[in-house]
Amino acid sequence: MSEGLFTQLLDLACGAFLLAAVIVLWRRELTAIVRVFALQGVALAAIPVLLGVHERRWDLVVVGVGIGVLRAGLLPYLVRRALTALTAGQQRYGTDTGESRETQPLVNVAASLLTAAALTLLAYAVARPLVELDPTPETQALPVGLAVVLIGFFTLVTRRRALSQVVGFLLLDNGITATAFLAAAGVPLIVELGVSFDVLLAVLVLQILTTRMREAFGTTDIDDLRELHD
Amino acid sequence: MSLVPAALATAAGLAAVGAPAGAALPGVARVRASGVCTAGVGVAGCAAGVAALGGQRWAADFPDLMPLAGAYLAVDALAGLFMAVAGAVIAAVAVYGIGYATGHGEHGVSSRAGQALLPLFALTLVLVPAAASVTTFLVLWELMAFTSLLLVWAEHRGRAPVRAAGVWYAVMTHLGLVLLLAGLLLLAARAGGETFAALRAGAAGVSPTVRGWVFVLTAAAFTSKAGAVPLHAWLPRAHPEAPSAVSALMSAAMVNLGVYGVVRVGFDLLGGGPAWWWLTILALGGLSAVYGILQAAMASDLKRLLAYSTCENMGLVLVGVGAAGVFAAYGDEPLAAAALAAGLLHVVNHAAFKALLFCAAGSVLRATGERNLDLLGGLRARMPLTAGLFAVAALGAVALPPGNGFISEWLLLQSLIHGLQVPGVAPAVVLPLAVALVSLSAGLAAAVFVKALGVAFFARPRGPQAAGAKESPPLMLAGMGLLAVLCATLALVPGLLADGLGRAVSAAGLPGDGALRGGVLQVRLDNISSLLAPLWVVAALTVALAVATGLPRLYGHRRRRRDARLWDCGGGAPSPRMAYTAMSFAEPLQRVFDDVLAPEQDVDVTPVRESAYLVERVRFQRRVPDRIEHRLYEPVLGALARAGQAARRLAGGSVHLYLGYGFVVLVVLLLVLAVGW
Amino acid sequence: MSGVGYVAVAGQVAVVAAGGPLLAGWMRQVRARMEGRVGAGVLQPWRDMRKLLRKEPITPVGTGPALRIAPALVVATVAVAAALVPLLSTDTPISDRADLILVVALIALGTLALALAGLDSGTAFGGMGASREMTVAALVEPTILLSVFALSIPAGSTNLPAIVSGTVHDPARLASPAGLLATAALAVAVLAETGRIPVDNPSTHLELTMIHEAMVLEYAGPDLALVELGAQMRLTLLLGLLASLFAPWGIATSASWAALAVALALFTLKVAVLGAVLAAAEVFWAKLRLFRVPELLAGSFLLALLAVIVSYFLSSES
Repeated sequence: MSEGLFTQLLDLACGAFLLAAVIVLWRRELTAIVRVFALQGVALAAIPVLLGVHERRWDLVVVGVGIGVLRAGLLPYLVRRALTALTAGQQRYGTDTGESRETQPLVNVAASLLTAAALTLLAYAVARPLVELDPTPETQALPVGLAVVLIGFFTLVTRRRALSQVVGFLLLDNGITATAFLAAAGVPLIVELGVSFDVLLAVLVLQILTTRMREAFGTTDIDDLRELHD
Repeated sequence: MSLVPAALATAAGLAAVGAPAGAALPGVARVRASGVCTAGVGVAGCAAGVAALGGQRWAADFPDLMPLAGAYLAVDALAGLFMAVAGAVIAAVAVYGIGYATGHGEHGVSSRAGQALLPLFALTLVLVPAAASVTTFLVLWELMAFTSLLLVWAEHRGRAPVRAAGVWYAVMTHLGLVLLLAGLLLLAARAGGETFAALRAGAAGVSPTVRGWVFVLTAAAFTSKAGAVPLHAWLPRAHPEAPSAVSALMSAAMVNLGVYGVVRVGFDLLGGGPAWWWLTILALGGLSAVYGILQAAMASDLKRLLAYSTCENMGLVLVGVGAAGVFAAYGDEPLAAAALAAGLLHVVNHAAFKALLFCAAGSVLRATGERNLDLLGGLRARMPLTAGLFAVAALGAVALPPGNGFISEWLLLQSLIHGLQVPGVAPAVVLPLAVALVSLSAGLAAAVFVKALGVAFFARPRGPQAAGAKESPPLMLAGMGLLAVLCATLALVPGLLADGLGRAVSAAGLPGDGALRGGVLQVRLDNISSLLAPLWVVAALTVALAVATGLPRLYGHRRRRRDARLWDCGGGAPSPRMAYTAMSFAEPLQRVFDDVLAPEQDVDVTPVRESAYLVERVRFQRRVPDRIEHRLYEPVLGALARAGQAARRLAGGSVHLYLGYGFVVLVVLLLVLAVGW
Repeated sequence: MSGVGYVAVAGQVAVVAAGGPLLAGWMRQVRARMEGRVGAGVLQPWRDMRKLLRKEPITPVGTGPALRIAPALVVATVAVAAALVPLLSTDTPISDRADLILVVALIALGTLALALAGLDSGTAFGGMGASREMTVAALVEPTILLSVFALSIPAGSTNLPAIVSGTVHDPARLASPAGLLATAALAVAVLAETGRIPVDNPSTHLELTMIHEAMVLEYAGPDLALVELGAQMRLTLLLGLLASLFAPWGIATSASWAALAVALALFTLKVAVLGAVLAAAEVFWAKLRLFRVPELLAGSFLLALLAVIVSYFLSSES
């Protein structure tokens, strides 16, 4: 693969990766959010695959494919299943508890989009010294990874629904993975495997928790957890 | 023989004649005499400024004029620019002021004190940029603040809010003076001299910390004078309450001097500085621009709206100045020159259209006694010339072609957009945000002036005062006409100013020559090729407009226009009360910016006595308080009041105690001196 | 050279003026077919316009000059902007002054004139439309200028022909993330500026939802014809601008008659495709609630800002 084409494709993947994070923040429909999250998984998987093909490191390609399967296939599937479980109950009782959409985030959508803009600028400012150490196409895309980490964290902080929080957590993790690939062309295979397994477990646990929460409170609004304190 | 000293001497002489004439002559004669003298001061000041812009320089010292320090004056192109602006505005506003004050009764602006102060205020506006030593500058600055303060108070008998506005202005302007005094004296002490020439020479040897303090102190004072957030609170109070001619002078000439101060001290005396100085200025400017125009969008009081728009425009100027500083700090001096030129050009443009806007608002106020947009309306039929002049100025203010504001905002955007070639993290992060803030403020400004023009002058009158309005007297119209010509000139041939602006920028220590080129306005830098041809745009628009009006007539049957009723949904003719008011016009914007503005509203429903379901009366009230003022000033004022209460305990009423305080302080002071040396 | 250049400028104005109603007709036709209707035909807007132009000009009582001048001013601003935007050729006698900011400002001037006309009518509808239109216009402004910013980075200038010919010679610029993000942002801004779904519904006359239509409710006869022509020309121009910026192939970069003819054919094709896509999208989308529009605009603003940021951290030096 020629250098120019590689840069172009890598930039496109990173752009799509960042864009997906922004759209997750933008949309309210949880189904749409999960779909976008799956697309982000594809973009994320493309990064190590591209790196691997470019540097002829086939293990990276394998890792990339693995990540693709996990992030674009398995995790979205699990989240979607949790979502159907929640909305099925809702249809059965004929009540609209608003489980399928993030109706009232703590920070309104317009403001959170503007915050995302500020976070991206912050990520750029922070990553700049790192980029200048070794300005290659990969490191130049480093701010993208950081920005997604920050946006994911922000989603985690401001969303009310348990499921959108799960998505926020996954966004955060995606960002960390992307940063790892861009900064150091990936972590050792075993670490990557461990982390992925961890994430999978976390999602499974969260999924169960969400269902339990819904059974206990009738909603997955995180604010209701405050009752546990009293 | 140089023109500058002759013109300045003329200005001083005219003010010296005008002030006693205003104080002594009776009735209409004093208004005329003082007005003519003020106009003369303006013309002379403008001439001096233009001569300086043309390349003349002049410096002189008068050691005997002031005891101890002596007075130093110097005029370079930078001072000339601000002089010329102030002079031109003064000349036109003075003509307007004669008409405005005639028949205004014995009180207010036409009183003896008012007419005596007007020429003096005009003279200080012209002379402040010429000051060339710390003492001279501070004395002139304080004279300017003091005369303008008394003029703001001119109408205090008529309306209660005037007094409060004056107190705010007095306190804030004097706090500013204290900061300025501290900053400049600190610099003078360290640089080893108090003339600007000595400061310039000695500033390089001053430690960076001290320079930073000097800049922070003076910048706080100067940006407060320019009306930048957060030290702007005096501006939207004092400008609306002053007599309109004075508002015009303050908003179009006095606030500029705040910018002058920042440029003079920051670039010229301190010779630029680290990037954080200028990033602060840039941030203040961007915030003021958006916050000011947002408050203007919420305002229903015409003059308050204009005052907040002044905050916005000064914010834009500060964005230009700040960007220039940032570029210079990162080493791109040509681009810095372009940004500074954009800021200075906006000072000129803003002065022209804002003076005209305030004068037109004054005409409306004089004709109707109303400043509340919701009670105006329909004035275009009753005051067609004023409406037209207001429209010309509003076109300048909305930053759209073919108005004059567009040219400077275009230049500002160009310099910001091309700032990306400057290396460094700060420009890369700040410039996109600055572009966003500038463009948001431009977009909101369009909404604001559509509101001001559409609600006040269009549709039908909503109140009896508006229905009975009459066109202003010829002298007021003449004054406004002069300003309109100025606006049009700046809009059509801004290239005329290019050389002068270049010299002014050079005087600030940046390579200003050739940053702009005359004829068509062109930015010419290493890798920028941008060009704006205002005359061409106007010509093309005129031709297109003629064709668009003419072609349908050729095609259709040439019948005369017939009058028809407004569409009324079949429910009877709509009454003027159904028309949109300023408040309802601003409602969508208020909802969008709810989190920023935090409006207070309450609905009070009174049911009839018989049944709770039948409503007798609904009272709806909405206020959009200045949130910065709310959050920042009220705690400080509260703390001050508490401190004052606490301090009262020191005053026990015993004379011995008071004398004892003085004695103790004296002894302590002497002790400190003895130990210190 | 100059002959071809002048013809190109005249051609741009003419193609926007004549093509505006055709584009509107084409979009309505596409929409009708997708909804299972026969449709009135592509030429219907021209027939409407002929009908309106022959009617008697009417001035509503109590209105002033603003209401009368605004329609012609809208058409004039779009016409001047059409002369400047390199729809057909980048090599025209006025290409050195075709500044993107100027074009944006000219279009905004038309919006402003109509809003003033709406207030001038003194009815509740006029004021409501003006207020909403100016709110949307104010919020769109940052998006547009940041997109301009992003687009001007590779060209080093906001001069439109420079940007367009730059992309013609280096198509890789388009596939960069910055280019794509700027396209998306500008597309949303164009939807808002032209009052299409999801921001405004051009075919509604329900007072709760009207924006643009509420402002122009008092117009009739030849004035209405001009207002409609202005709106149609503006849509054509902005779609053409999008096409020029993001699919610049075929635009004449030299002064030759053949290139100009090719450019004309391709321009028609590109705008027709864009119009069909827009019409199809309008069938499936719903209009947003008025106070959800700021969210959409904040999103497009974010895209534009990302376009700027991304353009200098991705592949800036490579």
